Amino acid sequence: MSLSKINLVVIGHKDHGKSTLIGRLLYDSNSIPQQKLQEVEAELKKAGDEGFRFAFLLDTLEEERRGGLTIDIMQMPLKTERHIYTIIDCPGHREFIKKMLTGASQADAAVLVVSAKEGIEDQTRQHAFLAKTLGIRQLVVAINKMDQVGYEESAFVKISQFLDEVLKSLDFLNTKMVPISALNGDNVFLRSHNMKWYNGLTLIETLDSIVEPSQSYADKPLRGCVQDIYDQHNGGVVVCKIETGVLERGKSVYLSPSGKIRSVEVIEMFGTQLDRAKPGDSVGLVMKEIQGIRRGEVISYPETRARIVKSFIANVILFSSIEMKNGDMCVIRCGTAERKCRMDEILAEIDPIKLTMNAVSPKSLTGGSVAEVKFEPLEPLCIEIYSNFPPLGRFVIEGKRGAIGAGIVLDVEYDGILKV
Amino acid sequence: MNSNSADNLDELEKKSIMIIREAMAQFKNLAALWSTGKDSTATLWLCRKAFFGKIPFPVIHLDTGCKFPEIYEFRERLAKEWNLNLIVAKNKEAIERGVSPENDRFECCTLLKTQALKDLLVKEKFDALILAIRRDEHGIRAKERYFSPRDENFKWNYGDQPAEMWDLYIKPSEDFSHMRVHPILHWTELNVWQYVKREGLPVNPLYFAKDGERYRSLGCKPCTAPINSNASTIDEIVEELETSMTPERAGRAQDKEKAYMMQKLRSLGYM
Repeated sequence: MSLSKINLVVIGHKDHGKSTLIGRLLYDSNSIPQQKLQEVEAELKKAGDEGFRFAFLLDTLEEERRGGLTIDIMQMPLKTERHIYTIIDCPGHREFIKKMLTGASQADAAVLVVSAKEGIEDQTRQHAFLAKTLGIRQLVVAINKMDQVGYEESAFVKISQFLDEVLKSLDFLNTKMVPISALNGDNVFLRSHNMKWYNGLTLIETLDSIVEPSQSYADKPLRGCVQDIYDQHNGGVVVCKIETGVLERGKSVYLSPSGKIRSVEVIEMFGTQLDRAKPGDSVGLVMKEIQGIRRGEVISYPETRARIVKSFIANVILFSSIEMKNGDMCVIRCGTAERKCRMDEILAEIDPIKLTMNAVSPKSLTGGSVAEVKFEPLEPLCIEIYSNFPPLGRFVIEGKRGAIGAGIVLDVEYDGILKV
Repeated sequence: MNSNSADNLDELEKKSIMIIREAMAQFKNLAALWSTGKDSTATLWLCRKAFFGKIPFPVIHLDTGCKFPEIYEFRERLAKEWNLNLIVAKNKEAIERGVSPENDRFECCTLLKTQALKDLLVKEKFDALILAIRRDEHGIRAKERYFSPRDENFKWNYGDQPAEMWDLYIKPSEDFSHMRVHPILHWTELNVWQYVKREGLPVNPLYFAKDGERYRSLGCKPCTAPINSNASTIDEIVEELETSMTPERAGRAQDKEKAYMMQKLRSLGYM
C-alpha cells in the first residue's frame, strides 16, 4: 500500500507538552538515530535535568534548551502504517506567532495539545483559531499530562467537554480527543495501561484513521501562475506553475490581467515534453507572441477564466508591530503577482484569544490582530475565494523585510465589464 | 525502495525547481555553492533542469586548501562536462598565516570558509546564494527557511526569522546583505541518493568503500572521519542507509567540537 505524505503541525499553549509529544512520537517509532539520543542524554547529564528529555530532541538551539522554550519550527519525518508525516513543531509562546503561522501554513492537519493539568489557556484558543483561519480543517486533540492528574477519567471528561465547545465555535465538529501522557508514552504510540476507562484509539491510530492528504486540485478549473520568461528555443519560454486544473497541449489559454489569449504549442517539464500538466507541475510553455507576458499573470481557460477583481474581503492576520489603518495602501502578494491595494475598511475584528468579535470595528489593526478586511486593488489583480482555489485565495501583505501579515480570501467582487 | 518513491522524487524535484526559478526571478545576481558532494551536485543538476540545460550563473567552490585530492579532480572534471562558470574562493591570507584546525577548529572554519565566502560576496556583489543544505542533516539546519536572509553583517538571526507563508518566499531587501536559498531543504539523505541513482549523476568516489571504509559526508580532510562500510555502489549505500541508526554527519568534527558550535558558526554566516 503506498503511503501518502501528510504535513502535520503540532500546536498549543506554552509548556503543555508539544515538543515532548513530538519527541515521544519520534522515539517510539524508532525515527531517532542512536547517536542523537546519546548526545542529548550526555547534555542533560551535564545540565542535571531529567524531565525534558524528549523535547530536547527538537529544541536544538542553545537558547531553547537553556530556557526550556521552543523558539522556532522544525520538521521531522515519521512513518506509520498509513502515512509519512512531516511533523512541524511550533512555539507556543505568544510572541512567536509569526513562526507558528509559518509552520501552520505548510500543514494538512493539526494536533492541538492541551494539558489536563493546566487546562485550556490563551494559546490553546489562539492556535486553534489561527489554524482554522489559515484553512486547516483536520484537527485532532491530545489531552496531555494525564499522569499529573492521576490518569483520572473525570479530568479528561471535564476538559474535553469545555474544549469541544470552543472548537465547535470554530467549526471543528466532532473532534477526536485522546488522553495521553507524552512523558510516559501513554496512548501516544502504545496503548496505556493506566487508563482502562478509555476505549478509544491511541493518538497515532487516531491520526492514521482520520487524516487524509490534501485533496487534489486537478478537478478544479485551470489556474497557473507565470513565474518568469526565459529566452530559449528561438523565442521565449513562459515558465509557470500549475496550481489547479489540468493544462492540455494545443489548447488556448487566457492570461489575466493582460487579457491575451494564446495557444499552448509545447508543454515542457525538465527536458520532457508533456501532453498534460497537472497541479504542482512547474512547466515551460511555448506559445506564439509572448511579448508583454509578465511574471504575475494567471493562466486559465477562456471559458472558466480568472478575472480581475474590483474588491475582495479577507480574514487577515497581522504579525508585525506595524499599524494599518482604514485607507492605508499596502502591497499584496498572491501567487506570483505583487499588487498595490488599499485597505478599504476593517469590517470586524476578532480577539484571537477570547474568540469574540469586537463590538465596534476598529479603524486600525496592529500586530496580533485578526480581522475581516475589505481591500480594493489599485492595480489589476486576479485573486480567488480560498475555498474555490486555495493557492490563489491566500496572500501575504508585504513589508520592508518580509511579510507583515497574511490573509485568506472569503469573498470577491468583480467589475461588471468582461474583457475579451 | 518503496513503491511510491518515484512519485515522491518527482514531487521533491518539482518543489526544488520551483524554488530555484523563484530565486532567479527575484534576485539580480545569483550564485550557487558547490562542495562536489552529493547534495550540492544534485542541486546543480536541479539548476540545470530549471534553466533548460545550462546554469546561467556562477558556481562557487570554497577551497580551504585541505580538501581531499578526489574533490579537486571531481571538481575539474564536472566543471568541464557541465560547462560550469566556476569560481574558486580561497582565503589565501589566512592559509599562508598557518590557520589550521590543529589550533582552533572554530576559527579555521570561520576564516577559511565563512570569511572566504564573505570576501567573494562583497567582491562580486552576489545578492542570493543557492545552498544544498537539508533539514535532516543537523538540528540547526532544520530551523532554516527556504529563503533565509543574512543581515548586513552576514549574520543569521535565527531567533527572529521572517515568516515564510506557503510558497510566498521572502523578497530581497536593503536590510539584507544577501539571501540564502535552500532548494533541497525538505529532502532526506536517502532521497538524495535515490535521486542521484535515478538521474545517473556523477558521484565523488570518496562516497564508495575502499578497504572497508568510505565517507558518508565530505568535509575537509583533517576534520572528516570515514565510516566502516563495504558499500561500493549506490544501491549498497541506499541499503546501508535504510538500516543505519548513525547520523550522516557523525564523522564531522565541527558538529561536535564545542557545544552548539554549529549553531555559532551558522549564526556568523557559515553554511
